[in-house]
Amino acid sequence: MTDAGAALIGIAGLTRRYGALVAVDNVSMDVGAGEIRAVIGPNGAGKTTLFHLITGVVKPTAGHVRFAGEDITGLPAHAICQRGLSRTFQLTALFPQMSARENATLAAQARNPRRWLPFGGGNVFTQARRAGGAALELLGLAGVADRPAGLLSHGDQRLLEVAMAVAQEPTVLLLDEPTQGLSVEETAQVVETLSRFLEQSHVTALLVEHDMEVVFRLAHKITVLHRGAVIADGTPEAVKADARVQEAYLGGIE
Amino acid sequence: MRWPRALGLAFVALLIAAPFGLPAFAMTLLTELVILGLFAMSLDLMVGYTRLISFGHVAAYGLGAYASGYMLLNTSLPLPFVVILATLLTGVIAIGVGWVCTLATGVSFAMLTLAFAQLLYAIAFKWTSVTGGSDGLAGIPRRAGPMGLTLLTTKTGFYYFALACLIGSFLLCRKLVASPFGAVLRGIRENEAKTVSLGFNTRLYKIAVVAIAYALGGLAGALYAPFAGFANTELLFWLLSGQVLIMVIVGGSGTLIGPILGAAFFLLLEHQLSSVTEAWALFFGLIFIGFVLFAPEGIWGLATGWVKRREKPLAKVRLRD
Ligand SMILES: Nc1ncnc2c1ncn2[C@@H]1O[C@H](COP(=O)(O)OP(=O)(O)OP(=O)(O)O)[C@@H](O)[C@H]1O
Ligand SMILES: [Mg+2]
Repeated sequence: MTDAGAALIGIAGLTRRYGALVAVDNVSMDVGAGEIRAVIGPNGAGKTTLFHLITGVVKPTAGHVRFAGEDITGLPAHAICQRGLSRTFQLTALFPQMSARENATLAAQARNPRRWLPFGGGNVFTQARRAGGAALELLGLAGVADRPAGLLSHGDQRLLEVAMAVAQEPTVLLLDEPTQGLSVEETAQVVETLSRFLEQSHVTALLVEHDMEVVFRLAHKITVLHRGAVIADGTPEAVKADARVQEAYLGGIE
Repeated sequence: MRWPRALGLAFVALLIAAPFGLPAFAMTLLTELVILGLFAMSLDLMVGYTRLISFGHVAAYGLGAYASGYMLLNTSLPLPFVVILATLLTGVIAIGVGWVCTLATGVSFAMLTLAFAQLLYAIAFKWTSVTGGSDGLAGIPRRAGPMGLTLLTTKTGFYYFALACLIGSFLLCRKLVASPFGAVLRGIRENEAKTVSLGFNTRLYKIAVVAIAYALGGLAGALYAPFAGFANTELLFWLLSGQVLIMVIVGGSGTLIGPILGAAFFLLLEHQLSSVTEAWALFFGLIFIGFVLFAPEGIWGLATGWVKRREKPLAKVRLRD
């Protein structure tokens, strides 16, 4: 992998307060290009908020996010996405009345400089449909592509959200609990698909995940959050052996 | 969807043929219908395609009407130029309106559009030198020209002009909603937060759609002033904003054609009922509630649904032969 000096994402002192609550507390971490980084921690540890801060959905109270050497702190979410960071949401966010294909196409359309064209747009659509279709194929959704997204199974909806992010051909993929709410079989299927994709694409990925098996299978490095703060950061083996992690998990998960 | 298309073309043919068969009073009603249909259709871009509910669309109508009325009374510009200028003026002002209103979302957005319409209403009352105050602008001419063209001064000629504006706007809107821009509007309609996080600056798209919707609403108003011969504060009254919103919903939002039918339905009902009872608005209200509860897809949705249901059994029968 890469050394810290060449980090693709550099997070420094990132903090977000909600009144007295510090949801994300002075978090610093570096993610290298091509790295798959898992962010774990008990419920309410601040993982989703950290993703919101990186992707501009929530503005930080303090601290900085650098991406590819540039400060992207506080930029609007659409601008950050345009720089190549695509994400999924913990609570599935789709366009329920559009077909899966239309969902993926719209995601891919965002990558086209002429995405706003108010007439015609045949080329914009052709390109977007190609990229969207490829992403659906990759995540095994080709068979349900023409069904309304709102009518897909929960598992397929989770996959569709990943497909939409993938259709944007991002530099960094942020996945917030892609297996949440899935059955054991569905989880296995999603993880299988994901690991195949991550291996093939060499994309940089940040992954929030509760399932430790999934984490240890996919991640190169792990960051552990507890009450908003980083309590451990390193290779899966190192993190597994960390006493504070054991404690946080034994004390933090009901 | 071959049926709706055929139906649409048949409608257009009927509208073009109308002056040859209808008496003068019916042509007056039909011209008003075309103008009101255009007004309702313009709102559908916001309500039906972007889920931007406006309680103040009358602002566009009134702006267009006063602008065209003022220009027809105080300049020697020919009618088509006046109409185009009034449309553009409304659209340009709407960029500012859209900018302010999209600072909010949902009900607050709707209230801000209403606030702007009420502001114009107050201005129309106070700025007497331009708007004629509570009397409004009267005696607005359908001036001849350009190049001595007198067609538009006649009732029939003006009807065709209004019809051309409606059909042109309809085709324009259809292109717009089928474009990449239109795809983003649908994204905003279904999940704006997701659309933002996919990398679309949704605020700009919303401002643009407000500007286009207001411009076309302004076009309708710009036609109304020379049609009626006057422009007064009633064209800026909040009641009309509510009524046009109801036309969109009753006709079928997100279909462009539905709101035109909604406007026709409204106008015909007003025409039929207002001679019978003072409380016709009440009846219209009840019908509106009925649609919301039992047929939220509106008149056009009911019609196309009915055709589709009939087509299916037919197809089966054909297969069996
Ligand atoms: N908008 C908000 N307003 C107030 N508090 C918030 C807000 N968003 C998050 N929080 C609080 O911040 C803390 C961190 O929440 P966050 O959703 O980031 O946790 P998480 O690690 O993603 O948890 P989970 O595993 O349950 O998804 C929680 O205590 C949460 O209640
Ligand atoms: Mg979370």
